[in-house]
Amino acid sequence: MAENSIIAQNISPDTLSTQYVKPESCVFAQNKNGFLTATIDGKEYKRVILTRTLPLNFPDDYICISDIEKNELGIIEHKSDFPKEQQELIDIELMQRYYCPVITKIVSVKDKMGNFYFDVLIGEFKKSFTVKDISRSIRQMGKSVYITDIDGNRFKIENYEKIPSKSRRRIEPYLY
Amino acid sequence: MHGKKADKKRGEREKRDERAVFPDHVLKALNEAGLNTDGLLSGCQGDMDNQACFCDAWVCFDKEGLYIAFGEEKVKKSKSRRRGLESEARVDRIESIPVGDIEKLELEQYVSTGRLIMIQAGEQVSVTRFSIGLAGDFDNLVNSFNSFKETGEASKTERRDDGENKCKKCGAPCPHGQQYCRKHNKSSSTFLRLLKLFGNHRWQIGVIILFMFVEAAISVIVPQLSTRTLYDKVLTNPDSLPYEQLLKALGTLVLSIVGIKVLRVLFQATENWITGSIMPRIMYNLKTKIFNAMQRLSLSFYSSKQTGSLMDRILRDATNIYNFFVDGMPRVIISVATAIGVLIIMFKMSWRLSLVALIAIPVLIATLVMGDRLFRNMHHRVWRYSARVSSITSDNINGQRVIKAFAREDREYDKFSIASDDLRKAELRLSLSEATLYPALEVLIFMLSTVVLGAGGVMVAKGQMTVGTLLSYIVYLEMLKEPFGFLAWVSNWWSRCADSAQRVFEVCDAEPDIIEKENAVSLENMRGDVELRELDFEYEPARPVIHKMNLQVKAGDMLGIVGKTGAGKTTIANLISRLYDAKEGSVLIDGIDVRDIRLADIRKNVGMVSQDIYLFIGSVADNIRYAKPDASMDEVIAAAKAASAHDFIMKLPDAYETRVGSGGQRLSGGERQRISIARTIIQNPKILILDEATAAMDTETERRIQHSLTQLKAGRTTIAIAHRLSTLRDSDYLAVIDGGKLTEYGTYQELLRQKGEFYRQYKIQSEALSTIGIIDFDAGTPVDDEDEKEEKSEGKGEE
Repeated sequence: MAENSIIAQNISPDTLSTQYVKPESCVFAQNKNGFLTATIDGKEYKRVILTRTLPLNFPDDYICISDIEKNELGIIEHKSDFPKEQQELIDIELMQRYYCPVITKIVSVKDKMGNFYFDVLIGEFKKSFTVKDISRSIRQMGKSVYITDIDGNRFKIENYEKIPSKSRRRIEPYLY
Repeated sequence: MHGKKADKKRGEREKRDERAVFPDHVLKALNEAGLNTDGLLSGCQGDMDNQACFCDAWVCFDKEGLYIAFGEEKVKKSKSRRRGLESEARVDRIESIPVGDIEKLELEQYVSTGRLIMIQAGEQVSVTRFSIGLAGDFDNLVNSFNSFKETGEASKTERRDDGENKCKKCGAPCPHGQQYCRKHNKSSSTFLRLLKLFGNHRWQIGVIILFMFVEAAISVIVPQLSTRTLYDKVLTNPDSLPYEQLLKALGTLVLSIVGIKVLRVLFQATENWITGSIMPRIMYNLKTKIFNAMQRLSLSFYSSKQTGSLMDRILRDATNIYNFFVDGMPRVIISVATAIGVLIIMFKMSWRLSLVALIAIPVLIATLVMGDRLFRNMHHRVWRYSARVSSITSDNINGQRVIKAFAREDREYDKFSIASDDLRKAELRLSLSEATLYPALEVLIFMLSTVVLGAGGVMVAKGQMTVGTLLSYIVYLEMLKEPFGFLAWVSNWWSRCADSAQRVFEVCDAEPDIIEKENAVSLENMRGDVELRELDFEYEPARPVIHKMNLQVKAGDMLGIVGKTGAGKTTIANLISRLYDAKEGSVLIDGIDVRDIRLADIRKNVGMVSQDIYLFIGSVADNIRYAKPDASMDEVIAAAKAASAHDFIMKLPDAYETRVGSGGQRLSGGERQRISIARTIIQNPKILILDEATAAMDTETERRIQHSLTQLKAGRTTIAIAHRLSTLRDSDYLAVIDGGKLTEYGTYQELLRQKGEFYRQYKIQSEALSTIGIIDFDAGTPVDDEDEKEEKSEGKGEE
């Protein structure tokens, strides 16, 4: 009875072990509409979704592959194990999922009654956004700083120590 | 006549607006770009293109096609004087897809963006992308389009109000949820806002400032008497005066100096006395203001902040502000007044020498400005590390059981040590900067006075100045050192105060999510009917937790809610208690939206026993009567008995007077839970929510409490959330929640018969109990009578 039981079905050895996907058994491709497809262990998947397990500290490692129904198909241990063109496909998919413009310069930060108005440069483009509840919306992880504006958009300062010193001075009072 | 015309025009405009999918200026731009907007059925505005580049985008559809227009919307100055600013849109390109080619639209949500997808010939095709905050608008568009495809009629979507995201003053775009743009948002400098804290004591402060000016004036007069008059009038030609007159002049001089000094001390003492009497009151006001602001705020504020950081705001930040205004500000006033007075006298004595002294002023201003920038960041860094140390300490104290269980004391020590070391380094850097900058400034002032002394000596030698004047001039120059030095250093002090003030104002400015309406309905005695109508809720933008939920509980009934962890059960409890507000739809109590009911009435009539138990510092009795402080001891004991808590309370050393909470008597999880149930029972709510209330108890205690609660059910609505299905056997109805949606609804027996998720959960739990020998799964299940037999035979049949 135990073999057929619901508990036994739910906690099978497969669900407890991590299935790492090797480059030799997994090939990614892009369909004509730009969505990522994959062939894993000879089985084709019309659309796969990539999710970072450690998006902030190890964005290129432990990337989870799942099908459109969100069933986990396996985990890529290190993206760098894959051939270069495969890595590019992975990057495109991850970039779309974790879209986060990189701030290169902070032009100004104005505080008005609990609203913080940011004027920044994203590459060469100017972008203005508003942040509220600053201690929650700005998060420092190591050398990176993540800012979430009131619309839910995320922005990132890749390396806090490498942005211009004036920009550093402008953001520092808001780091918690 | 004019009024009628205006009414007609307004009516036409309203009619047009009702039909319009976009504001007029957008429609105009779309028309100019070649799109016929007359037949548009629905649309929404996006902020990205398909490659996730920021731009304005308008997605809409009519009976013929789906259109995606990309361009830019901006605000420009209006030619009309009255209107000020007006919006303008520009469309660069329009993509159109025939409606017939689209099977349906879908939405995908990512971390910070979303994507509109169309299904064409069974394949997904990306249409456009958008910021996650717009997911709700796009969701409406998708529903509208799909409904049009299915039924031929587009479901009505609420058009974004033209004025919603526009500044009330100038019409410029402003962020979601804001009423004013950046330019017109209320602005007030930190200093002025801090000064308002002292508004209630303006008379006392006025007197203090007056006395400070008097003190400064006295300080300025003393060298005139003590040095200049003594040298120039008395000691310059002592032989020319008779001895008695000399003595008399000297005596008068000494007495005047002593009198002035005494007067100054008197003023100083009075000023200190007034300061001492009002400042503790101001400190009390400041701390209670922050504390009160924190109490007003909704739960979401607390879930986003660390305890250490919040405590630092009340204690450390308030103290920093207090210190600056008690010690710093009076000295600033005295220093400024003294410096101005001294400079005036110095100019009167010798303008040539004074010009030399003035060189110091630009240096001082530069130091003030630079010091403010430099030290503000440094102070913030010190605060940040200090708050981290506080948070680690509080985390460590709260988590001692886990730390000990996993023997991670050393690691915790390392964590604390690293944070403390960061704090040490930040403090060291600040101290070293202070220690470098201020002596350098001192040296500068010293060099300046040396130059003045040299130049003054030359002037005395040339007969352009008397010795007494030079000596008193040097005394004045010395007097300038202190105010100048202090003013240079005070920027550091002010930086610390301003940094603290920013955090204090963050708390004071935060707006609570839950606000009582002005004309809220008073519903002191609720019947207890509860209804969830088309309820949507999300904790974070575009991450729905509850989706289009409809549920009804009649007054006096018991509803059991079952579901997996994270299904949204506790969220429903929080929404009924109005700890959070629904995003869409509503929670109705006795047919009235909870947002329209007075908060006090909701708190009085809706009682919740949560899975998070918190006991306050105080006696057991105090904790039980927390919701009803005037409850008699009889009521307290009755509530404790109803919660099966009386027996264990009587075994405690001081029974109902035993101190519990932090630092008090240790109680087991089940005991704490029972006190918390008693606390809710004494509140006597009309709607009782039990959120895993008996999860921490053994089966026997649970049964006893169940029995008590069954008695209490009479005349009140009970909503019980539980994983253990046996807890919900007495429920009149059961609701199964999955992924924020209601999936099953019915009585216990009905749901078993349905053989859905509830039946599956029931089977898992029964199987688990039979595995450990508590229930013989094959022989007996808690299904009643005929159903029981039916279930058993079906179960066997399946196996």
